[in-house]
Amino acid sequence: MAGLPVRGIKTVVEAIEDGGPGIKVYTLCDPDRWELPPFKPGAHIDIYLPGGLVRTYSLCNDPADDKRYVVAVKREADGRGGSIAFHDGVKAGDTLVVSLPRGGLRIDGAHHVTFVAGGIGVTPFLSAADYLARRGGDFTLHIIARGEPPLAAMLAPHRASGHAIIHDTRVSARPTLDALIDTAPQSAMLACCGPLDMLDAFERATQGWPAERVHVERFVAPALPIDPEARPFQLVLARSQREIEVRLGQSMLDALLKAGIDIPASCCGGICGACRIDWLEGTPVHRDRVLSPAERARSLMACVAGSAEERLVVDL
Amino acid sequence: MLDTATVDRASTFAPTWSGVIRHLHITPRAFLPMRSMPELNLVAGKGIEGDRYMIGREEGYYSSKPEEGRQVTLFEIETLIALKRDAGIDLGPEEHRRNVTTEGAPLTHLVGKQFWLGQVLLEATRLSIPCRHIEEVTGKSIFDPLINRSGLNCKILKGGTIRVGDAVRNA
Repeated sequence: MAGLPVRGIKTVVEAIEDGGPGIKVYTLCDPDRWELPPFKPGAHIDIYLPGGLVRTYSLCNDPADDKRYVVAVKREADGRGGSIAFHDGVKAGDTLVVSLPRGGLRIDGAHHVTFVAGGIGVTPFLSAADYLARRGGDFTLHIIARGEPPLAAMLAPHRASGHAIIHDTRVSARPTLDALIDTAPQSAMLACCGPLDMLDAFERATQGWPAERVHVERFVAPALPIDPEARPFQLVLARSQREIEVRLGQSMLDALLKAGIDIPASCCGGICGACRIDWLEGTPVHRDRVLSPAERARSLMACVAGSAEERLVVDL
Repeated sequence: MLDTATVDRASTFAPTWSGVIRHLHITPRAFLPMRSMPELNLVAGKGIEGDRYMIGREEGYYSSKPEEGRQVTLFEIETLIALKRDAGIDLGPEEHRRNVTTEGAPLTHLVGKQFWLGQVLLEATRLSIPCRHIEEVTGKSIFDPLINRSGLNCKILKGGTIRVGDAVRNA
């Protein structure tokens, strides 16, 4: 039963719950309730949404909860469309493919963590708060929100224990970040997630702190490790008369697959020989461990090969 | 170059060894953690009940590339010990993503041969190769250290139930 290659983790939407103003909380599970791949506090996943969009969301549940991925999505009418696709297009029982969890907060060993969240920016800190509370860690979670705080049900146990403090800007003046940070012990780790102006203010307010104890959550995909010699290049497909760009940090194989060209591949590390293609012009940079010098004179392994020039012509 | 006589002799030579099944693992879908099992049911010509590469219900990472010899995969516990000893890498039997972890069986010598796993008869089709997928799932840099010792792919000639502690022996 050969089908399409598996690109991610297949989940089903087990529940959709109200998370406060404009927010829905989605619980994703394996179809057989099998354990899901583990994640660190503050980690996030990519979710493949209806209509081909891919969006990144923080996991909001305790990492010890190994059968669920819980994400909170605020409907952003003026956003890029991901939250609307989610709110309007995803129903309970639907199948959603997600990526392996990535990233996370380095909070192990911290004497104290002070989290500062603006509104829905609290999401990366919820899993960390659950994690720390379970292990007896010391932390304070400040949530600055206008009116009803987001995800009140998830915050309730941390408010009851005194760890979470809501700053409702409808009833009191918005606290300055300096004031919040001043309450943290000198040995604390500081973390912030929220609107861009809040992140900028947080960075200014933490300039005097050791960089390794300051974390700013910007929801930007982590940079790929890039070969310092690598350059982006144009890949010219001689037979099909197409031209595709191989971006910095992208493999030729990935660029070909994304362009809809089906290249057999397996190990993706340059040893199995599955994605061998012939090249015609240019200067390939061979990084495989499978082709002999004579074979390299006409072939390359698309999973690892680069190009020393701006243009490489292959026999596809 | 190996002469024909050497190759012929090696193909008929039956070395003395006896192995044992130390761990059994399956997972129903790509990317999901492997779950430790006390026993597994192997179906001749198909695969392992409940595993992602069972023919007819494939949901494995490589299921889009069908392969007869992926019905059951084996891995030497000695490789895990060597990884720790030589590279300082802690890799658990639930992390290498093969189904059967053996001890005492020279898996890399068994390509093309038949052997018993408890009451189940297997035929080894090829050595497994490491893949970047396993680094993605485990978060550990194990691609290079696993080259040439990444396990054995087999097809199931005679099915049955295998259990942790069962013997692994020549057919």
